[in-house]
Amino acid sequence: MHRVRQIAALAALIGVFYGSHGFAAVEKAKATAEKAKVTKLQIEGSTTVGPIAEAFSEAFMRVHKDARITVKKTGSGDGAAALIDGRCDIATMSRFMKAKEFKKAVEKEIMPVAHVVAMDGVCVIVHPSNPIGMLTTEQVRKIYKGELTNWSQVGGADRAIVAISRDTSSGTFETFHKLVMNKEKMASAVETVGSNPQAHARVKTTPGAIGYVGLGFVDRDVKALKVDGVTPSRKTIRSGQYPVARPLFMFTNGYPKLGSMTHAFVTFHLSEKGQEIVEAKGFVPVTEY
Amino acid sequence: MRRRLRTYLDRAFTGSSLLSILMMSAALVIILAPMMYRGSKAVLFRGTVEFRKMQLNEPMFHRGNSQAIAEETERTEAARKPVYDLLERFGALLDTELSQKRARRLYRELKKQLRNRVENGEISQDRCDELQGRAKQLRNALVDAYEAGDNETAQRKLAVVLEPGNSALLAGTVGEQLVGEAGSYAEILQTMDLSQRGLYRREYLAVKDIVGKLLGPPPEQRGQAHLTEFRYGATRWDRARQLLDELLWKTTWAAQENGGALSEGRTKRADLFRQTQLARLFDIIERDAEKMLAPKRTFYWQYFIDDCTPGHLFGGVGPEILGTVLLTALAIGFSVPLGIVSAAYLIECKRDSCFVRAVRVCINTLAGVPSIVFGLFGLAFFLDWLPARAPWLGFRPGSNILAGALTLAILVLPIIIRASEEAIRSVPRTYKEAALATGAGGLRTFLTVTLPAALPGILTGIVLSLGRAAGETAPILFTAAVAWRMGMPRSLLEGGTRALSYSSYDVAVGDRVAMDAPHNQYGMVMTLVLLVLLLNMFAIVIRSRVARKLRGQ
Amino acid sequence: MQPARASTLSAEPVAGNSAAAGFDRPLLLTPGRDLAGFVGRLVGKAVLAGVASVSILAVLLIFAFITYRAWPFFAEGGLVEMLGSSQWYPTHDQAEFGALSMFYGSGIVTLGAMVVAVPLGLLAAVCLSDVMSFGIRQYAKPVIEILAAIPSVAYGFFAVLVVAPWLQQRWGMDTGTNALNAAGVLAIMALPTIISISEDAISAVGRDLREGAYALGSTRAETMVKVVIPAAHSGIVAGIVLGIMRAVGETMAVWMASGMSAQIPSRWWDLGQSVRTLTATIAQEMGEAPKGGSHRQALFALGFTLLAITFCLNMVSEYFLARAKRPAKAKSK
Repeated sequence: MHRVRQIAALAALIGVFYGSHGFAAVEKAKATAEKAKVTKLQIEGSTTVGPIAEAFSEAFMRVHKDARITVKKTGSGDGAAALIDGRCDIATMSRFMKAKEFKKAVEKEIMPVAHVVAMDGVCVIVHPSNPIGMLTTEQVRKIYKGELTNWSQVGGADRAIVAISRDTSSGTFETFHKLVMNKEKMASAVETVGSNPQAHARVKTTPGAIGYVGLGFVDRDVKALKVDGVTPSRKTIRSGQYPVARPLFMFTNGYPKLGSMTHAFVTFHLSEKGQEIVEAKGFVPVTEY
Repeated sequence: MRRRLRTYLDRAFTGSSLLSILMMSAALVIILAPMMYRGSKAVLFRGTVEFRKMQLNEPMFHRGNSQAIAEETERTEAARKPVYDLLERFGALLDTELSQKRARRLYRELKKQLRNRVENGEISQDRCDELQGRAKQLRNALVDAYEAGDNETAQRKLAVVLEPGNSALLAGTVGEQLVGEAGSYAEILQTMDLSQRGLYRREYLAVKDIVGKLLGPPPEQRGQAHLTEFRYGATRWDRARQLLDELLWKTTWAAQENGGALSEGRTKRADLFRQTQLARLFDIIERDAEKMLAPKRTFYWQYFIDDCTPGHLFGGVGPEILGTVLLTALAIGFSVPLGIVSAAYLIECKRDSCFVRAVRVCINTLAGVPSIVFGLFGLAFFLDWLPARAPWLGFRPGSNILAGALTLAILVLPIIIRASEEAIRSVPRTYKEAALATGAGGLRTFLTVTLPAALPGILTGIVLSLGRAAGETAPILFTAAVAWRMGMPRSLLEGGTRALSYSSYDVAVGDRVAMDAPHNQYGMVMTLVLLVLLLNMFAIVIRSRVARKLRGQ
Repeated sequence: MQPARASTLSAEPVAGNSAAAGFDRPLLLTPGRDLAGFVGRLVGKAVLAGVASVSILAVLLIFAFITYRAWPFFAEGGLVEMLGSSQWYPTHDQAEFGALSMFYGSGIVTLGAMVVAVPLGLLAAVCLSDVMSFGIRQYAKPVIEILAAIPSVAYGFFAVLVVAPWLQQRWGMDTGTNALNAAGVLAIMALPTIISISEDAISAVGRDLREGAYALGSTRAETMVKVVIPAAHSGIVAGIVLGIMRAVGETMAVWMASGMSAQIPSRWWDLGQSVRTLTATIAQEMGEAPKGGSHRQALFALGFTLLAITFCLNMVSEYFLARAKRPAKAKSK
């Protein structure tokens, strides 16, 4: 029992160490917040734009030492909901706000203002062992509607098609839904995943899979298909040749006050550094800086 | 006959029951072993000089012997120099991206220069606009020329730039350099066939990308990268080896005759560059990789204390552990007093009244509610209803630690009540009777005699519920968990926190960067499992001691 | 040291025995003798009862709020759609909330888990109670407890990163995250519950039953299968029901392992297809659903259904547990 008491005391000490460290951290944050004017920025929304927001906040906090930025990545719909509820300062969305969301926002006296941070293409990807090099929009639509179920039906190997889609809160899904599916419903056999990296991982490991991800997630482990004969690349997206392209947004409540931290953040992408970061993350910068 | 059959059946039965226990132990090992092994790689690994540089230079960590690291950097830079030189030389011919960037930069400098001149009054605004417009045309033409895939298009675009009027127009400004660049490029074009270049360029860019990931950016460009992930090369030797393999071998997909799926194959990348200068690069890297990266055995115990860069690429799980400890401690702090008192009431007062039966039913119900429903309740109650109806309590609609902790407290309450009940009930009546015999009242008996005697059992319950609360994700999903934040929230009622359980889920399916750092994924799950297992081991130890003590009596 | 008083143990009123040597305060007696003490004790009991009723309060609040948030959905006739249709398109312009595929998903995954976990669990319980010696049991029980303690995120991790690729590569399945994967993981998670409760029940069967069976010449297998397990059947059923409850209520592991496609496969027994469970749907879609919208109400309705199911299962298991305790009480007379 004595030994147990010793261990208990030790464990309690460790717990107290971590706990006091935690409470001390909270206190210190409070103190520094009151001393220096620490401004908090709450950013919520898309998993596609999330990495850009995180990268921006990293570069941002080097320059503005008094900023404390929190990034939540749960989906474009979540970001919109958070902005409308007043829970966040910036909502990152990979789609524009829907009419319903706008209506709700106006009811709550929130005026959403869109800032386009980058452009993105939704690329249709397959496993590298798939001999198919290109598909038409029509074919992709049929696959996702469940009318085509075997790769041999589109000229590939005899293998079942495993269609991977994003869940409905995703802006990537919305874009795909609008531009490829023509707003028709997907088959219920389609697997849903919660984020771009998940979709990438599923396609990378499943030989019969087809999925769609943002341009930044196409690498050597998956093969991006030509859609209607156009290869997705920065050039074709910027010129509008690639059919499934979209702008990436950051929404704020009204235009942010000039000189505030929010304003600096949503105009960061206009600087050369910001656009370089955008490009480094695999997206298409808005300007030809 | 019948007897033998029965014996066989008996043996089979006994054997299969033992087998089931063995299968479960095997399942335990299969589940835990890979996690622990791969997770331990986050703490024990061979770190390269890039790792040590990162630990020194990043303000987040800032540790290490700067002199030793400076010496190491010198040595490794010397080993790397040939590689960078080869890349640069080859790239001068091929790397249109760099040339394009240069062109763009020249244009920007020109704009600045012109702006200054207008401000100083040296030229008029109209002249400035004219010059700028022309320069922009030239820049675009030059960029197109760089990007062109065949000589004809390139020559055509260059002709635009090299029009005689241009250099005169832009004389005395930075714009001259634009024309100069076009000129030298036109010269190179005489000797090179651009259509070949397209092929080489793709491969060259891939090689440059991998070398960048392996060794980091070349020394001149080192300060320019904005993001931490691009500032350093491979920090771990196993990742470096992976990149080396990717560099030296290229995966190709070849079509088969029967038109089926493509088959995987590997070719040496060096073969692709056979007759160019770049072919030596691969031999150099293969031979000198260790000299370039200087791997050394590292014990990164600060993994459990350090913060991490966004996306969990570098760094540790310190804030997650902190968040989990905070949430769990608060949850236990709320539920333990409630639980012990409830258990005491259930046992001491009025054994089987309606009220007591109702309480028991409710405790059992609480124990059976799914954890996601707790999360829903936390969302609906602490984050929706309370801020609206009782704002004086201080809750606000955003996620906060207190809401998460309270939700976890309700989750954990039944466990504590059950464990306390069992413990208090197992205290022999004689203790209580003896205490009452000496004249102590009910409360005093309980506090001084029953409770201390029941303490081991209660402690077991507390420790078990600590483990449970630390591992639960669903209740904090909507109430307290946050994917990434800098620093701790300023108050318990504002802002969520990172937690081990939620971050494990996030990192397993999350950011692209985590795909490059699987050791961090496994490390986080390993930390969580270790934490929970330690707590449970502790509980088991207490319980076995108590059992032995009771048995020995 | 104060001299011990020769008083009785129970709080019987002892006439006129106040202020004995060393004791200033009288023993608690009737209100007439000691009003302050009586009121104090009453208040104390009330406070204790209040604290104990926190659990009642918590349960009532949970039920109240889930029902409150889910009510608008049910009021509009959502129940019929939820149980009748398998089209789950909550974010469309004409939203559809047919959750039949989710019920199927939860059902098939639980069924698969139980098919594996019940026999295995029973065998293990038998082993722990009858076959193993005390020493080995002390090592085996911690294994079970550790299995129970591992967080569900870790199980989900294992399912996604280890089992899913294995299923795809070794068994050539189309997709590694499917009902089979989820059922397997749930089986491992439900096993400890089943084992511990069944083992308690089997141990509680008295030695006399066993000895009687052995005396008649049965082998151990026959004793267990024909005598002990039927005798302990109430407890075992309770354990199984609690295991089902655990499987139905599990969120994180199935979120990662099941593939999340809201479908009912054409062959309902095909475990190689991705499915979606109620719990994972709530977890995945709750963040997106705008507050007060019909999507959020539908999700709360799913939560309410979950709550109702687990509550019923809880009642069933309580019934069986009560039955398990009753004969023991009758026997001990």
